[in-house]
Amino acid sequence: MILYTPLSEVDIFGTDPEAFNNRQFMNVHGRLVHAERTAEGTYRILQLMSTDPQDYLDASFTPGSVISN
Amino acid sequence: MYVRQLTILVICFQEGACNIVMGKDKTKQDNQDQTNPSALVQKIQQLGQSTVPQAPDSNIHVLPIIGQVEGHVQLPPQNKTTKYEHLIPQIVAIEQNPKIEGLIVLLNTVGGDVEAGLALSEMIASLSKPTVSIVLGGGHSIGVPIAVSTDYSYIVPTATMTIHPIRLTGLVIGVPQTFEYLDKMQDRVINFVMSHSKIDEETFKDLMFAKGNLTRDIGTNVVGADAVEHGLIDGIGGVNEAMSKLNELIEQKKQAGDMLQ
Repeated sequence: MILYTPLSEVDIFGTDPEAFNNRQFMNVHGRLVHAERTAEGTYRILQLMSTDPQDYLDASFTPGSVISN
Repeated sequence: MYVRQLTILVICFQEGACNIVMGKDKTKQDNQDQTNPSALVQKIQQLGQSTVPQAPDSNIHVLPIIGQVEGHVQLPPQNKTTKYEHLIPQIVAIEQNPKIEGLIVLLNTVGGDVEAGLALSEMIASLSKPTVSIVLGGGHSIGVPIAVSTDYSYIVPTATMTIHPIRLTGLVIGVPQTFEYLDKMQDRVINFVMSHSKIDEETFKDLMFAKGNLTRDIGTNVVGADAVEHGLIDGIGGVNEAMSKLNELIEQKKQAGDMLQ
């Protein structure tokens, strides 16, 4: 692997990854989201992965909202 | 007569089974609500929600390339990354969907994996639909070929692009072949930028190997207007310029299609 970036190696491979174990990608209503598992056992959206700009206007996909089934 | 009885029996059995399953599920759900009060609160909150009116399908889609471009190796999770396994299928879907007429690529990246970046650049460059890119904040290193891969590229006046030589991270084998391998890798980036922008090889290499511009590195940090002056980026502009250019390109493509028919 060759990284072509002005960042130093320490910036990229720095900290303990254990703190991020509760994050995962999942499919919610046909859209891919990056979500974080909360202490209550629910998932909170961190990032929406979509190319459709209208998806970003949907309040249920805004970062921070809890995923409802 | 025998057959009729049998059918009734089967229906009864199915209905009975249905009721049993439904009844079981209901009690299970009630138990869950009682044991998990936050789930109950969420459900109460959701009751007041009305459905969001469905916006019309957008004919322009957007591809954000943010943070590190992640390729063959998964980066530690504190990095914000754009993963090629997410983006490449999206580009194929954009090409395939007849409702999508154009693509805007938003760049705010610090670079990343060379081969992932080149793969994305080639995918965007080979799209049959009109594409426009906007460099916001930064389009460094491998962000440069991605920015120039579109039909027309914009940079906002405050954005910068760092052009520098490719370096090795990790294990270095101290043989001349290592240098040659790196040199070839660098040539792939340079050739792509040459063939997709108006910058000439000499200017690009001058920027790449310039001394004294970056504090601890060889290279140049090209700011907004300078990138346009060097011929790397086509114009200065943001959302408005990019949208009107993309609509113009879509119109041109439609007209060309009409003439063919």
